[in-house]
Formats: sequence, structure tokens, C-alpha cells
Amino acid sequence: MVNIQIDGRPLQVPPGSTVLKAAEQTGIVIPRFCYHPAFEPEGSCRMCLVEIEGLPKLDLACSTVVREGMKVWTSTPKVLEARKNVLEFFLADHPLDCPICDKAGECFLQIYYDQHGRYASRFLEAKEKKKKKIPIGKKLLLDRERCVLCTRCVRFLRRVTGTGELGVFERAVKAEIGIDEGTEIGNNYSGNLVDICPVGAITDGDFRFKSRAWFLEKGRTVCPRCSRGCNIVIQSVCGFPLPGSQRKIYRIVPAENQEVNGYWICDFGRYGYQDIEENRGKAIAVNKGGLPEGKTANWDNVLRELAAEIKAMSEAGRARRIGVVLTSLLTNEELGICRQLFVNVLGVGEVFFADPKPGESDSYLLTADRAPNARGAAALGFTPKLPDLERLPGSLDLLLVFGPHLLDHFPAADLATAFQEISRTYLLAAHRSALDSLAGTVLPTAVPAEKRGSFTNVGGIVQSFERAVRAPKGCRPEGEILTSLASELGVELG
Amino acid sequence: MSDGKPVILPADENSFRLEAYLSRGGYEAARKTLLEKKPQEVMDEVKKANLRGRGGAGLPAGSKWAFVPQTGDQPKYLCVNADEGEPGTFKDRAIMTRDPHLLLEGIILASYAVGIHTAFIYIRGEYEAIARRLEDAIGEAREKGFFGRNIFGSGFDLDVLVHRGAGSYICGEETALLESLEGRRGWPRLRPPFPASVGLFRAPTVINNVETIANVPLIFRFGAAAFVAAGLPRDGGTRLFGVSGAVRRPGVYELPVGTPLRKIIEDWAGGPAEGQAIKAVVPGGLSAPFLRPEELDVPMDYESLARAKSMLGSAGIIVIGDRTPMSEVLKIVARFYAHESCGQCTPCRIGTTWIRKIAERIGAGEGAPGDLDLIRHLAEGMKGKTLCPMGDAAAFPVLSIVDKFGKELRETISR
Repeated sequence: MVNIQIDGRPLQVPPGSTVLKAAEQTGIVIPRFCYHPAFEPEGSCRMCLVEIEGLPKLDLACSTVVREGMKVWTSTPKVLEARKNVLEFFLADHPLDCPICDKAGECFLQIYYDQHGRYASRFLEAKEKKKKKIPIGKKLLLDRERCVLCTRCVRFLRRVTGTGELGVFERAVKAEIGIDEGTEIGNNYSGNLVDICPVGAITDGDFRFKSRAWFLEKGRTVCPRCSRGCNIVIQSVCGFPLPGSQRKIYRIVPAENQEVNGYWICDFGRYGYQDIEENRGKAIAVNKGGLPEGKTANWDNVLRELAAEIKAMSEAGRARRIGVVLTSLLTNEELGICRQLFVNVLGVGEVFFADPKPGESDSYLLTADRAPNARGAAALGFTPKLPDLERLPGSLDLLLVFGPHLLDHFPAADLATAFQEISRTYLLAAHRSALDSLAGTVLPTAVPAEKRGSFTNVGGIVQSFERAVRAPKGCRPEGEILTSLASELGVELG
Repeated sequence: MSDGKPVILPADENSFRLEAYLSRGGYEAARKTLLEKKPQEVMDEVKKANLRGRGGAGLPAGSKWAFVPQTGDQPKYLCVNADEGEPGTFKDRAIMTRDPHLLLEGIILASYAVGIHTAFIYIRGEYEAIARRLEDAIGEAREKGFFGRNIFGSGFDLDVLVHRGAGSYICGEETALLESLEGRRGWPRLRPPFPASVGLFRAPTVINNVETIANVPLIFRFGAAAFVAAGLPRDGGTRLFGVSGAVRRPGVYELPVGTPLRKIIEDWAGGPAEGQAIKAVVPGGLSAPFLRPEELDVPMDYESLARAKSMLGSAGIIVIGDRTPMSEVLKIVARFYAHESCGQCTPCRIGTTWIRKIAERIGAGEGAPGDLDLIRHLAEGMKGKTLCPMGDAAAFPVLSIVDKFGKELRETISR
């Protein structure tokens, strides 16, 4: 370990640490634009200059490696003056269109200016005019007036995706981020450019002008769209400024996890917020059977009836004529209850799995698996297999189906025939699908972002998560449904 | 040892040809050295000669070479900086035009000392004819076996390649030069690591100015002692002083290091132009702080000019006559740096243009009372705070103009 001092505080840091990282260790955050922990120091924004005793000039915190006995000062008048200078330089040509900029509220130029600036502009000249709305591929738009030329975007595309779509063109004050004519950013990680842009130069067409950063509630969870289990933050608004208690998901951004996804997520996962927003089942539907005459189709009644049916079959020794179709979208906890309830206690006839069809892996983060918890299901002793539709009707009287993914594997017509011949069919699904009209009773459930629990990712890492957003009114997480069912049946879940 | 004194620039017309160079004793120093001396001895001799870099920073050439690690079997490179972009500087072109073989012989000696087998000459794009002359000279030398395999039968291999730049000032900055040479945008690199350990193609690299390398054969032809005697004890040899601007005889003058600036202007360049008095002098390329007429007795060596709070730099002397308004000088200086900033780091990218806009406004008669203070503030915001030395290069002349000619500028503003 190397002994240094930062702002007079003695500190031990690993050899090879930079001053910036060492400072973070004591909770001192040195402002930066071009530095990003995923890349080698660039040293171009000049925002992180600090004073190192014995050196005549200010030095970069991002690239200066600690030496034994080094004494660093991060907020002397000299340092603060240099920071103010850099901010003043940035502001000289910056458009100050914060009132209509998506980044306002989380823009580092704003944040640092607020911390260090607060002086009147001395810039009497005409600002540089640049293009403000350049489509650079996918949903991304580039605003060159807002750009501070930190080149994080350029470096991301060179070093992370290796696709190199962006570069710096022109020089001096005309220097600008650009893309070769006729090309565009087409890779599956484009959305990260919006996150790493320290200002509002790269914005996402999906988020553009939709909300203000300060309205967004942030909930950390695990992305359910493949088996990587990238850590994500879902940013949503519940209520104000939306009317009533309306809920809206505005965007998904990565949460750092060096063991899983580093700093990034793929676009497939990022734009997965549509899974939370769109096509959601909202109310219980009873199509046939399932409820005695005159009973309202509410959660209590439906679950009590389901419990009664299961109990009757179990007591009559017909538990083997109960079938369950699970899915790897369920959490470990939910699958654990299923195991205890259906396999250990009830001893149902068949436990099947229906998962989304595998897709393409992009050989980086996105795996071919389109469900988050296949490893978790396997660890709980489940062997995923699809039902045999021919055999199904004859062998079962009650079928519980979790999720709509049977449709990924069978034609709806075949499922219709099979379902018709089973006297009781229950569908527990978060999304509406063609199965809704086939099942006797449809129960709207929650998506992973609306639950707490854990998934086991492709590498076997068990990742717990809390509820990131509130479930829509009327929807219940499967875990809650299963717990109610167990308690109706008098089953101890332990 | 040959007779005479170590002089870079030959006098005769056809001096650039190989026969002419051979008749001046050319390539003998290299031949003898490669056959008789060990690389370390070559380095020691250069150290003894106190040859300081002629590009601007003035680092002793011998110690610069010594920074190159001699361990490992990775390739090492020599890059001769012939970008010569500093305004007021036109000395290297004189060497390459009139004495290209001196440079080539220097390349052989420097490469041998450091253990380099590939050398590059990075020449500014505008020097097209000179690049051709270099190519011709290399062709002549290669034909004689002075380049290629087993030079002079010494077992030492060396090749040299000429690479033309594309017309950017910043590519004279050594790490931007490396980027450009590697085929990328000429943006300076963050240091450390320094080129001596991680340079061209990530290999240890020596980067020297043309004039520095051209001095090396003289050290071996005349001996280190004679070389030191031709200049100052701590700064050996001659310098090529390029004098331009309001003088009667602009040109390149080869004189001992330490020759007083006033003597160069008055005795050699013929004094101020007809009907003018000297108002200001840039002593070492545009990046050097301006001097006032009463400051011209300074000896032209690194230390003396540093004491005078200016720089010897590239020894390009620009004389400003009293007919030229300083607001015009300020505008031209500011325009140059605003045009040539590479755009990589914030203070230089924005500061140079901001200063340019203020200078243009003052020039257009629209100066505001706080302008000079603001220019000073902006220049201070660049000085010592940029990624490469260009921030200083842009700040120094501007600061000195504002500080030393503030009275005239204030008069212009208030008019």
C-alpha cells in the first residue's frame, strides 16, 4: 500500500491508484468530464486538476498515479480557480438551453457550475453555431452545441463495442463529434452513449422531452430480458406530474456491477421498459367455470375457489391430475414456493416449463436465453420441459399456466383445443396474449421490476433485487398469489 | 579532426549534393564512429558537447537519448521533427535544402547511439520540394551503402523514411507528431508515458529537431570540445537564427549560441526596416513572449532568455516595426493559435478562439474597457493547464503583448 495525504487526510491506497480514485476512497469526488472509470484516462477536459505539493503546475487527478508520501490538495484557491476557468470556457459556447434539455437536472456542466461557478458571463462575443439535431443512428440524436467534446462516446464505440462509428472532425473551436456520411450507430449498446454523455449532447429519441430528471423515481432491479441479469435502474413517475396516480416508466439505465454488466446494458434490455408498460393485463377475467354463480371475480374469491378446487382434487387423491406450467421468468423465491407447494406437498402430476424462445446472443452481454432465471430453476431441481399437447387433456383436470410463453412454442389453435378439454385452466400472466381467451380464468400478475426476489444469472450469480416500480392496480406478483394459495391450502412454506 | 569550425550551413551553391558533402568530409564522422566507437561512447560524446535541443524545449540531446530504455528487444524509433510550424521559424528548411546529408549523417549517428534501426523524418506538408530533396539525398546515400544493411561494414542496419504531414501546427508537438505518423488525427497524447518509453507504435522513441540532429556529425567531425567552444559552455555549438519582419536583411544567420539579440538584428539583419524603429521583438518563434526594444541586449541562449522571462524556443526572431499597431499584432497572434488549436482540451480549444474574438473586436474599433483584463484572465486559464504545451505557446505571447504594450492597446480601445 502507498501512504498519501489528500486534503490533509492520511490515506493508504493500493499502488497504481490514480489520485482521482484515491480521493474517491475518502469520499472526495473530484469533478470530471472526460474521465470515465471504464476507460483509460483521457486528460482532455482539464476539470480534475489538483495541486500536488512540490509540483509547480496543477496536475490531473484522473491520470496521476500516487507515489509514497504524495500530498494532494483538491480544493485550494488555485484548484478552484482552474475549475472555474474550465467551466467558464465550456459555458462560453454552450447554448444554455437547459429549460428544454433532457439532461437538465443530471447534467454535469450544470452540477459543477452550480458548485463552482455562479459568476456572471464575461463572454461578449457571438457563440459558435453548430447543428443541434443530428440523427446518429437508432434513437440517438446529437446536439453539437451542447457537446463538451469529452469524447466518451467516441471512446465507448472504439473500446467497448469496437464499432467505432463516431469520431472527432475539424479542429480548434470547430472540432465536433461526427459520424461518417451514410453510416449510423447500429450496435446493440447505443443507448449507453446517452448515459455516459456528461451533458445533453446525445439524447435518446424515446426519452426526448418526455420528463424532467428530477421527477424520476429510481428503482434498482435486474434486467429480465436475458440470462445475463444486468443490473438496471428503472426510472419512473408515479403520480405528479402525471394526472391521478398514473404510473409511467420513462427509461431504463444501467447500474454498475463489475461482476455482471460492468457499466453497461444492451439496447434490447434498455428498451425493455415496454415490457413493463405495454399490453399489461389489468383485471381478473373469468371466461368459463372458476367461480360459483353470483360471486364477483375478485382476487379473494378467485383464489379461494382455486384453493378449493386444488384441495378437493388433492383430498380425492387426484392431485396427479393437476398440471403446472412454470416459466424461468419467475424468481427463485416464487419457484421455491412452487416446488414446495406443487411438488413436495401436493405432488401434482406434471410440472412443465414454457419460456420465451431463445434469440440471438450478441457475444457480449446479451445471451441467447430470453428468460432471466433458467439457472435458478435448474438449481431448484426443475427440469424444464414443454407439455405434450396431445397427452395434456387426457391426463389433467386442472392446469395452472404461468406466463404466455406456451404461445412461443405452440400454435394458438392447438393450445385452444388442448385447453378446451381441460375442465379448469388458470392463466397467471402479466401481459395480455392469445392465451387470455383460451384460459378459464386469467389472473394479471406483476413483471419482475414490480417484485422483490432473486434471479440466478447465466454465470450462476444469485442476484437479489427489490421492487423497482409499483405494480399497476389490480396486478399481483406471483409470489404473493402463491403465498395466498398456500395459506388457503394450509401449507407451511417454511 | 578536420580543420575549421563546426558550421552547419555550407556556403556553396550545390552543397546539397552528395559529392559536395563528401568533399566537405561528409559521412567520415559516421563511418569512423560506427567502426571505432561503441554506442555508449557516442552518447557520452554528445553529452560532453552539451548539445541542447534546437526545437524549443532545449533539453540536452544526450540525456534525451539516455531516457530510452536499452533493455528488451523491442524496436526503437527515431523521429526527426521537420514540421517547422512555429511562425517566424525557417531554419530547418535551410538545413534540409542546403545540407540534407548533414541531417542524414546525424540520423546515422543518433540511431547508432540509441540502437535504432528505423528513422523517420516527419516533414511539414508545405515543404513538398524539400521533402523531394530529402528523398533524393536518401537515394544517393542508400546507393553508397550509407543506409540499408551493414552500413560502412559495421554490421549496423538503418533505414530512413520521409513522411509528409498534412499541414497542422500541432503536429510539430512531438506526441501529436507520433499520432499523425501512425496515421491518426494529430492530437497530442497524455503524458506520462513519455515517448522515450512509449512512443511511435508504442515503442521507445527519440524525437529530435532537424537542427539538433544536424549538429551531431559536427560533434564527431570536430570533437566535443570544439563544439562547445563554438557556443557556450553549457549550450554548445551554433544556432541558426531566422530573422524576419521589419528588418533590412531578413534571413537565416548561423551564429554562436549566446550572440546578443540586438547584435543579430542590427549587425546581421541590417537593423530595422527603412524609416522604422523597432517596437517589439519575438526572440524564439511566435510562442516566445515578446520583448520590448530596451530588452534586446539579451544573449540568445536558453538560460539568458529564460531570465529575461522569454524563450529561445526555435530561435525564430520576428521584428515588429513601429508602424505596426500592437492591436494588429495581437489579432494575428490570436488568430494563429485559434486556427491551430487541435481542439482536444478545453482551455486551448475555447480559450484561443475567445481571445481571437476579443482581439478582432479590438481591431475593429469595438474594444471594451475590460477586454485586456479578460484576455489576461483567459490566457492565465490556459497557461500550464492544457494537455500539451500549446496552451502555454498560445498564452505566452498574448500575455506579454497585453502586459508590455498595454498602454498602446488601451489607447486603441478607448479611441
